[in-house]
Amino acid sequence: MKDLVKHYCEGYLRIQLKGFSPERFLNLCMSRQIVVWDLCYQDNGYQFLISIKDYRRVRPLVKKAQVRLKILGRYGLPFFLYRNRRRKLYAAGILSFFLVLFCMSQFIWDISIEGNYRFTDDTLIHYLDTRGIRYGKLRSGIDCDSLEENIRSDYPEIIWVSARISGTRLMIKVKENEVIGTIPQKDSRPRNLVAEKSGTITRMVVRRGKALVNVGDSVEKGDILVRGMVPIYNDAEELVREQPVRADADIYAVTSEGYQEKIPLLALNRTETGKNRHGVRLRLGGFSFLWILPAWGENPWVVTSKSTQAAILGDFYLPLWVDRIRAREYQVYEHFLTKKELEQRKETIHQKKMENLKQKGVQILENSVRILEEDSGWIVQGEFLLEEKIGIGSLVVPEPVPETESDKEPEPGTSE
Amino acid sequence: MRPLFEQMKIAAADNLKLPKDVVLGEVLISFVGRTSVIVENYRGILIYDDKTVKLQAKNCKLQFHGKRLHIEYYNHDEMKISGLIQSMEFGE
Repeated sequence: MKDLVKHYCEGYLRIQLKGFSPERFLNLCMSRQIVVWDLCYQDNGYQFLISIKDYRRVRPLVKKAQVRLKILGRYGLPFFLYRNRRRKLYAAGILSFFLVLFCMSQFIWDISIEGNYRFTDDTLIHYLDTRGIRYGKLRSGIDCDSLEENIRSDYPEIIWVSARISGTRLMIKVKENEVIGTIPQKDSRPRNLVAEKSGTITRMVVRRGKALVNVGDSVEKGDILVRGMVPIYNDAEELVREQPVRADADIYAVTSEGYQEKIPLLALNRTETGKNRHGVRLRLGGFSFLWILPAWGENPWVVTSKSTQAAILGDFYLPLWVDRIRAREYQVYEHFLTKKELEQRKETIHQKKMENLKQKGVQILENSVRILEEDSGWIVQGEFLLEEKIGIGSLVVPEPVPETESDKEPEPGTSE
Repeated sequence: MRPLFEQMKIAAADNLKLPKDVVLGEVLISFVGRTSVIVENYRGILIYDDKTVKLQAKNCKLQFHGKRLHIEYYNHDEMKISGLIQSMEFGE
């Protein structure tokens, strides 16, 4: 490949060799390090390729070997330029192409942002826009170091930024802080644990507070499970006072939960009619040109488009976007649900409910689902038997201290 | 009978396990299937046409027979011949 380019740039000739001793001529070329290639025997003579520079050196060898050389073809850049020496506009076109390419390469035509989860691309691109960094900005006008510092200082959640320019593309990589920024303040107010749901307690671990229930007890919603007032006795086992604490326990109970969901008799169905329209939109900077056939008929159309930015040589992006548009016609009609569709809907609803419960960390012991028929449709009725945590915090309301006789102040106007 | 110096070189190459093409200048021939062959350490071209290529090596002559024989390139060190190679002979 390297040799091919070199030969093309230098220019080369196809030569016909005939005469008394062609082999001697070839050996002489070899001994004088004259490069000859693509040698073949044709029409009682030899043909080979030789560079212009070496062709000028073979003249003494021609006499020595008593051969005759005839030029059959001239190839390469010097000959191409010579043949097209009068085509000034052709040369100007080629030159202006490279000039435009060079000028366009001085601007940013694509901004890519990677590693952002909390902040969307639009947010960051809008931020860059406020900083004066937008499509079409001169590459030399962007200071990547200060841009990195600005992003870090304006977005404290972004802990690492790397900005670099590759071709006509500004690449920004960010890393966001995955740890929560502020530590939630610990609540230490005294509280009771009360039952969130009715059920039968299966297991419990009490860490703080006084348990008022045992395993196997049935509790109703709102019953106190763990009291946040710990009694303190003296040596004579007399109650001295009650210490308020923040009750803490894991209390699991078997509970039941049900749901009902309506399914209408009629269902909307959307089908494509098979009619398609294709179009293209070209966007160049602020201008756009749309070419698509107009919609016909009364049915609605769903339109999708796929956008690509024109680029050459990987990172050399051009300010030209091509959107391929596809519109598909569809019809909407109502139909009565079939038995199979009804079953499918029931399964979908039930599975969704089960997924929701599983995501909460609840253990499903039993589940059942059935369909009830109504005039206006169907009702999906499901029931679950669950084992779940039922303790929920409820702040302890400090009881008013009963007033004693001695505390009572004498009423005005009375005398002892 | 080879000259004494030549015998010494062969013995040295054998004992020191040196490549003979380097020490003795022996011809090195590499075939790629039957469509091309690379010849190294040759001295010159004796005969060339589309059916025969005869080369001079240091200690022998080589002759390739075939059809549409074509020298892709040649220089002081090596030569590449392509075409349909049917046979090769060594001569004195």
